[in-house]
Amino acid sequence: MRGSRALLRRLLASDHAVLLFAAAYFLALWSITPGLGSSENLRNIFTSMLPLLVLAVGQTFVLITGGIDLSVTAAIPLASVVGGSIMAGDVGLLGGSAFAVPVAVGAMLAVGAGIGLVNGTIIACTRMPAFIVTLTTQMFLGGLAVWYANWYAGRVDFHDLPVGFRAIAQGRIFPAVPTALVAVTLLAMAAHITLARTVLGRWLHAVGGNAKAAAICGVPVRTTVIAAYIASGLCAAAASILYTGRLETASASHGQRVLLDVIAAAVMGGTSLFGGRGSVRGTLFGVLFITILDNTLSFRGLSNFSVLMVKGVVILAAAVLDAARARLAERSI
Amino acid sequence: MDAILEFHGITKSFFGVPVLEDLTLSVGEGRVLGIVGENGAGKSTLMNIIGGIFPPDGGRMRLSSEPYAPADPMEAARRGVAFIHQELNLFPNLSVAENLCLAGFPRVSALPWIDRRALRRRAEDLLARVELEIPPETLVEDLSQGERQLLEVAKALGHRARLIIFDEPTTSLTAREAETLFAMIERLRADGISMIYISHNLGDVVRLCDDIAVLRDGELVGTGAARGYSVDALVALMVGRRIEEIYPKRTSAPSREPVLEARGLSQRGVIEGIGLELHRGELLGIFGLMGSGRTELARILFGIDPCARGEVRIGGRSLSPRTPGESVRHGIAYVPESRRDEGLLMEAPVDENIALVSLRRFTRALPGLLSRRRLEEGVRSAGMRLGIRGARGGRQAVKTLSGGNQQKVVLARWLLERPSVFLLDEPTRGIDVGARHEIYRILDGLAAEGAGILFISSEIEELLGMCDRILVMRRGEIVEEVRREAFERERILRAALG
Amino acid sequence: MKTVVPITLALLLVSGCDNPPSQPKPVIGVAFETLQTPGWVFAFEVLESEIVERKLEMMEAIADGDSNRQFDQVRNMIARKVIGIVIAPKDAKAVIPMLKAANEAGIPIVCYNRPPEKTDTRYCAVVADNYGITRGTVKYMAEVARKSGKKHKAMILIGDLSDLNAIGRRDGFEDEVKEYPDAIEVVARVPTDWNQEKALAGVTSALQAHPDLSFIFTSSDFMLASIASALKSAGKWKKIGEEGHVILGAFDGDETAYEMLVDGYLDADGVQDLRFESEAAVRAVLDMREGKPVPERILDPGFVIHQGNLKEMTPRMWGAHVHARKK
Repeated sequence: MRGSRALLRRLLASDHAVLLFAAAYFLALWSITPGLGSSENLRNIFTSMLPLLVLAVGQTFVLITGGIDLSVTAAIPLASVVGGSIMAGDVGLLGGSAFAVPVAVGAMLAVGAGIGLVNGTIIACTRMPAFIVTLTTQMFLGGLAVWYANWYAGRVDFHDLPVGFRAIAQGRIFPAVPTALVAVTLLAMAAHITLARTVLGRWLHAVGGNAKAAAICGVPVRTTVIAAYIASGLCAAAASILYTGRLETASASHGQRVLLDVIAAAVMGGTSLFGGRGSVRGTLFGVLFITILDNTLSFRGLSNFSVLMVKGVVILAAAVLDAARARLAERSI
Repeated sequence: MDAILEFHGITKSFFGVPVLEDLTLSVGEGRVLGIVGENGAGKSTLMNIIGGIFPPDGGRMRLSSEPYAPADPMEAARRGVAFIHQELNLFPNLSVAENLCLAGFPRVSALPWIDRRALRRRAEDLLARVELEIPPETLVEDLSQGERQLLEVAKALGHRARLIIFDEPTTSLTAREAETLFAMIERLRADGISMIYISHNLGDVVRLCDDIAVLRDGELVGTGAARGYSVDALVALMVGRRIEEIYPKRTSAPSREPVLEARGLSQRGVIEGIGLELHRGELLGIFGLMGSGRTELARILFGIDPCARGEVRIGGRSLSPRTPGESVRHGIAYVPESRRDEGLLMEAPVDENIALVSLRRFTRALPGLLSRRRLEEGVRSAGMRLGIRGARGGRQAVKTLSGGNQQKVVLARWLLERPSVFLLDEPTRGIDVGARHEIYRILDGLAAEGAGILFISSEIEELLGMCDRILVMRRGEIVEEVRREAFERERILRAALG
Repeated sequence: MKTVVPITLALLLVSGCDNPPSQPKPVIGVAFETLQTPGWVFAFEVLESEIVERKLEMMEAIADGDSNRQFDQVRNMIARKVIGIVIAPKDAKAVIPMLKAANEAGIPIVCYNRPPEKTDTRYCAVVADNYGITRGTVKYMAEVARKSGKKHKAMILIGDLSDLNAIGRRDGFEDEVKEYPDAIEVVARVPTDWNQEKALAGVTSALQAHPDLSFIFTSSDFMLASIASALKSAGKWKKIGEEGHVILGAFDGDETAYEMLVDGYLDADGVQDLRFESEAAVRAVLDMREGKPVPERILDPGFVIHQGNLKEMTPRMWGAHVHARKK
């Protein structure tokens, strides 16, 4: 009995607790729901996980510095309509041209980075809390997205997107490997390397851990904070590319409800809301968990409302477990 | 003589590690017992047991000859034991009167409304007992540290405490405030209240207390009347061996070559017309009371705070603009006053803290990409040079280290930069005797290698013991400069007090 | 050790064992954008009873206004190997990839009440004849206006312009009103995006600008409450036959409209026969499954219920059923 209690404690305290939890949950549900384990459903899980993962990785950068980026839900639609206005076959600026797709993608990424630059600069140079700043940019940009679409083409979404663009979200490289999966994996790896193995990564952790101490050690705090928000903005733009390509529509109403999922995933993956702690790997596990949760519940035919309720309870349980885990870890020192 | 508090055979272990072993001690009624010991000797654990935070594993306690085993701090308070912590338990946003009566506000008959007049009267009574002349409506956040300390004593008296425990009460007090506190303690003793006084300031302990107990590694290694102890003897008992001197002998002399110069630094309301010259290999002390502008000067020199007028030169070149980043690049190191607030990333592991300033030196293939191996090597060599203990392989969170080792971490991070100037603000605050000795040796070593060290401290003894020169600051200005040959305690104190 | 365990688990998951075939009962997936109005709820319930009656199982999914979520839900249904999907899409263009996915999996798919944009995919759409029903409704109202001998100032509340249904209703109104230039002058066209607050704000401002407004058509019954509220504030909430009655017409056939008809405030209501639509949708799914030819569009002719035919049309009005059930 003693041995298994110690084992349980070690499991709970490990960084992989969330992953194990997710796997255990999935296996449990699989036993009562045929079809959950089919290769098709598993592929569904991995592809629907991708936009959420991209957003959560970006959010991780910001959370590590002790901030938060609420504006991603507005960055997504804004990038989407900007891209649509450039490449839509019927009304786009470059509609029909061979340059339409690269220019549109570049513009979408530029929108994301620009939003990040604005957020980061305001937060770094004034003392205003990130929550307030990104909340206000979210409101502003959300309205801007609708206004822009209306102003440019008199409606709220753009259709007739070029095949090349759609292929990013829907295409495959080898028969079994979607392009999007490869792209997102590369992005996640780049993020992981930055956070874990570069000077900037250490700076991000330092600023989140104790900004005053970091400044004294010569860390360029302002630049670091701005970099974090630019990363988040770029990730929002990347997610926008995925949403837009998948639904073949550039719309000012994309991605409006993902925020809580994104933050829940990052936090469950071990990123602290107070800053100083976080990793891409942990975020990946958190995203996996939330996606599996979503997928298994709606696979069983639960209506959206029930899914939301169950999600709420499960995430709460996971957060409580995480707090217990932190306390366990502290005691064993 | 009756004992108000006795313990017999108290033992306590955490996770199988013994922390207190068979402690038998008593506090005489109406007497002040001083308890000294290095960090980790078991003082806090003993106090926590007395205060009801956790029970001992073995042994018994008696309070006024009655068995005493408090289940929680509230019961301890009810039995008359008051604990004044190092971090005071006051609510800055509430008034003095509210803080005093928080545990039991006087009510209007049985209704849940506070009887403001009775509250005021009770507060005034208590304030009078500690001779604190402030209106009871004053918000605690507007009080000085010394006034807050006295307020805590008043609170204890309000709870009818018969035994008051002081834990490091003078750390944040000015010299004058400390004197006021000592006078208070005398009065309390005259009133028959018993006290336990814990402090690293051995001089104060010898002066104030009737009896002294020395703890080392969880055991009582010496106890008796304070009269029979000298500071040196206490140190020897605490550390277990004779420290030849508290302050190691200096192994080098300063050169005449200036490495840091300041001219005409003025910032309204903060400092005025500061000019100084720090030489290679010199330990330059800066002494002054709280509020004299010492910390502000260091922050201005390093570039954290702006300065309206004046110039700073390093190695002959003018430093402009002045930011921490620029200072680091020019070889200036800064150790802030509060390592917890501004010095360390408390939750982060030791090696991350040590590596933080010199990250760019650990890159290899690509700019920005860290080489794990180089980083570990660098961190390890710095750590070993300073003798940092308690960090298992450097991955442990720095908050688990003792104060002395934490301070060594702060110093270690600068070593790799080989700075030519160190600005140290209270580098030995809150550190026990043994660790202090090590830090003094480190500073001496750095000076011997040619660095110039600015040593700010409110403890005149350590400046007298270590420095080549001492500058005295008062009200934002440098009012006196004393060379080692002319070191004289009274002269310096007088200059600082005005 | 730390990395081996998760990698093994991951591999296990990805290899994924397909499950034994034949589920207990064949399943039809129903993916609705929302259940926020009684109309959708009623339609949903009828679908459910139709499915259950045929000894089949229903897998439900509500997307709550999020196209992306709807797509995920459709893909889940496909993975679950449902025998057919009935979808009420959020966006007429965004639904096209979902239709494609269903086609690729060989699963018949029917769009409910909202048709998709032009597309080559195989599908069937069951839609109401918004244009025709609206014309009929407005015709009744216009006759009432003409009979009164006065010229009426008119207002239309338009729905979300990205919804083809809303466009159909608007066109029906405009074309019918053109036939009565003597009796009707349109002075206000309020865009509401299917939003209650916008409707209330729009009606209130229109009433302020044209205090003698006396002819209102709303593209959906769910905005009737806002209209009643605004008219009451302006003192113009009068029954038919009372001095100052505002000629009022609406579209959908919900419970509020039924009550207002009975009480005499509402002149006419265009009704979507939701029962017809739901039954047709289920039948279409099953027909497509059996390979029978199914038209791309199934039109629900609906009908107009007004003060003249109230008694005979009540049983066919779904809002009346909801009302009766509540009793």
